[in-house]
Amino acid sequence: MRVLKTLAFGLAIGLGVAGARAQTLDCGDDTLCKVEATKVLKVGTKDDYKPWSYRAPDGSFAGMEVDLANALGQLLGAKVEIVKVNSANRFEFLAQGQIDLMIASATDTAERRRVVGFVHPNYYSSGYNVVLPKKVKATKWEEVAGQTICAIQGAWYNKPAQEKFKIELLAFAGTAEVDSAFQQGRCIGVLSDDNMINVMLADPKWADYHMPLPTQDDAPWGIAVRLNDLDKPWGVLVAGAIANWHRSGKLLELEKANGIAESAYLRKMHEALKDHLPAE
Amino acid sequence: MSETTILTDIFRWLPFVLWGFALNILMSILAIMLGTAAGVFLGFGQISHVRLIGRISRLATQLFRNAPWLVLLFYCIFLMPYSFTVSGVTYNVPSWLRATLGFSVPVAANFSEIVRGAIGSIPKGQWEAAEVLGYTRTVTLFRIILPQCVTRMLPPWMNLYALLITATPLASIVGVDEALARTQAAVQSEVQPGFLIPMYLTLLTMFFLYAYPISRVSAALERRFQTV
Amino acid sequence: MLEVFRQFALDLKASGINLTILYDAFDFERFVSGLMTTCALIVICTLFSILIGGAGAAVLALSRGPAAMLVRAYVALIRNTPLLVQMYFFYFAVGSLMPVGQNAIGLPVPMIGNFTWAVIALSLYAGAFNIETFRSGLGAVHNSYEEAALALGYSRFKAFRYVVVPLGLRFSFASLANNLVDLTKSTTVAYAIGVAELLYVSNQIWSDSLNTFEMMNVMLAIYLLLTGIVVWIIGRVQAAMSLPGFGAN
Repeated sequence: MRVLKTLAFGLAIGLGVAGARAQTLDCGDDTLCKVEATKVLKVGTKDDYKPWSYRAPDGSFAGMEVDLANALGQLLGAKVEIVKVNSANRFEFLAQGQIDLMIASATDTAERRRVVGFVHPNYYSSGYNVVLPKKVKATKWEEVAGQTICAIQGAWYNKPAQEKFKIELLAFAGTAEVDSAFQQGRCIGVLSDDNMINVMLADPKWADYHMPLPTQDDAPWGIAVRLNDLDKPWGVLVAGAIANWHRSGKLLELEKANGIAESAYLRKMHEALKDHLPAE
Repeated sequence: MSETTILTDIFRWLPFVLWGFALNILMSILAIMLGTAAGVFLGFGQISHVRLIGRISRLATQLFRNAPWLVLLFYCIFLMPYSFTVSGVTYNVPSWLRATLGFSVPVAANFSEIVRGAIGSIPKGQWEAAEVLGYTRTVTLFRIILPQCVTRMLPPWMNLYALLITATPLASIVGVDEALARTQAAVQSEVQPGFLIPMYLTLLTMFFLYAYPISRVSAALERRFQTV
Repeated sequence: MLEVFRQFALDLKASGINLTILYDAFDFERFVSGLMTTCALIVICTLFSILIGGAGAAVLALSRGPAAMLVRAYVALIRNTPLLVQMYFFYFAVGSLMPVGQNAIGLPVPMIGNFTWAVIALSLYAGAFNIETFRSGLGAVHNSYEEAALALGYSRFKAFRYVVVPLGLRFSFASLANNLVDLTKSTTVAYAIGVAELLYVSNQIWSDSLNTFEMMNVMLAIYLLLTGIVVWIIGRVQAAMSLPGFGAN
């Protein structure tokens, strides 16, 4: 009987923590309604993708994607709760409802669109490439065929890079492991998106490395909502917010503020959407 | 990079990692409680004279004892609904709580075996004697057999707990923000190269300081009850 | 035959069950290679862990000096810290201190790869549990056997080697089976350091095709089969070695 009592107590703690945020809502599966009622916006971002999303020593999140989440929270008058996701679980987290919005440097692909709703316009764009030590003089992908290259589990380009260029992939759950493995020479290069590599190479720590191969399959990143929200108020609101950020130049601004070199995609989108009347 | 700066950096990150470790402890305590309770029922089920219950309990025990913890965790994280609604009130089940459920499944299966083993270790004669004296099977189990089993079950139960606490970092792989995940985030944010080894050593020490006393107590209990 | 499977899998996909491993050659290939890696891990680590367990238990039984202390410290350290953290620690921390070779294009390459580190970590882990198992197995052999052997003129070592060990081994089987099942399950942890075993490839496949549910069921079935095989093999060995009158079962 003691066991049962302690169990009941334990369950009470567990559900107490979970139930603290329990709400009575009549929103059905309308996420916008839920966010407005609870004044809480749960956004999934990674915590190892500096400078897009990473951790400060006090445990808080920072980076360009976190800034976007906060901008949206401000717009809605909601408190932003950042939920840590990784490449291998982000779509499941969104589909399950653990997060209302995913801003996790996810490339917008056809396979993924069957599972989550990518809102348009896209907010960023990148292709994939390999960062290599300067000692490696390869300029064509064919020259790295058969070599071991580190990567992050769940990245969309892992499969095409393996299939097309026959590289040996050594994949880890997070960037921390990838960087350590690379620095210890466990792979000759890191497969990553070209923006990320550009940011890395700007750091003097990586002075002996370069990105000599042509970037492959440039593809846009998408902010995602659940599929059933895509054409509902929530999806449309997020789409509008992104379009406004392109138009106003906020995305270019945040990119600069986070120390990322200006990307051609953001410039192009800004030119396409900017106001046709000159500013006052 | 001098040693003092590494030390101050570790101290800077220590509270962050320790809060993660608190989550490891919370998960392990909840999982051992849930698993023990479920394991008692499964264990009783295994010795049940109702054939169907016996068979289902044995199947469940074997199934969950032999499945990798990590696979069960993936199940609980990805396939369990994130929130459920009871009479209009929506409860959220955060990922750490679902991971806890994922841990309690193998714990239940292992404890079920401990219960079955302990009950089996009581001489058959006692059951027969109780039957002759007119006790029902349930009364015999609860009043005569189980009180003798408790001391036999305690050491393996504590070993199971030590196994459980050292398994909790697996939750980092499915995205729970516990001590290992936080150590990795710290290593990632701190660019200095000498930081990785001391951070991992700190983490190992944390677990050792918590788990080792438990194993010692368990071993001491085992020795004490051995003469029974 | 393969074509039939392919068609079956495509039909399944149409009905919502997406088993890419049956119709996508790339996924099939990596799945099979993952399964092979898992099997290799199980076999190699089983052998090493039994060797470690036997050596450690022998040291504990025969010596009381610093060697026994060392073995006890090793068992305590391994058993009371998480395998996953040990794995990371070996691979990233100890691994960074190890000698480095050169690959074909002159780049430094560690001599010890991630598969080897996984083998080392898993063998040391399961080995620590096996030491405990063999130690208590030897402890279960009643003193009178050793005394009888000594009385017959055996030296202390020979009495241990020819009388105590064979009996103790037989007392250890149930617990050894348990440890080896645990080892089989623990090979999934090698996933964390990028060893392309079953969980790793399954994760890659469901990340690409987003068929998480299907892949997890396939994986669960395979692990149950593998642990079943391990239990069966130990049962056979136990039966082959059983002595009349010894071992409760």
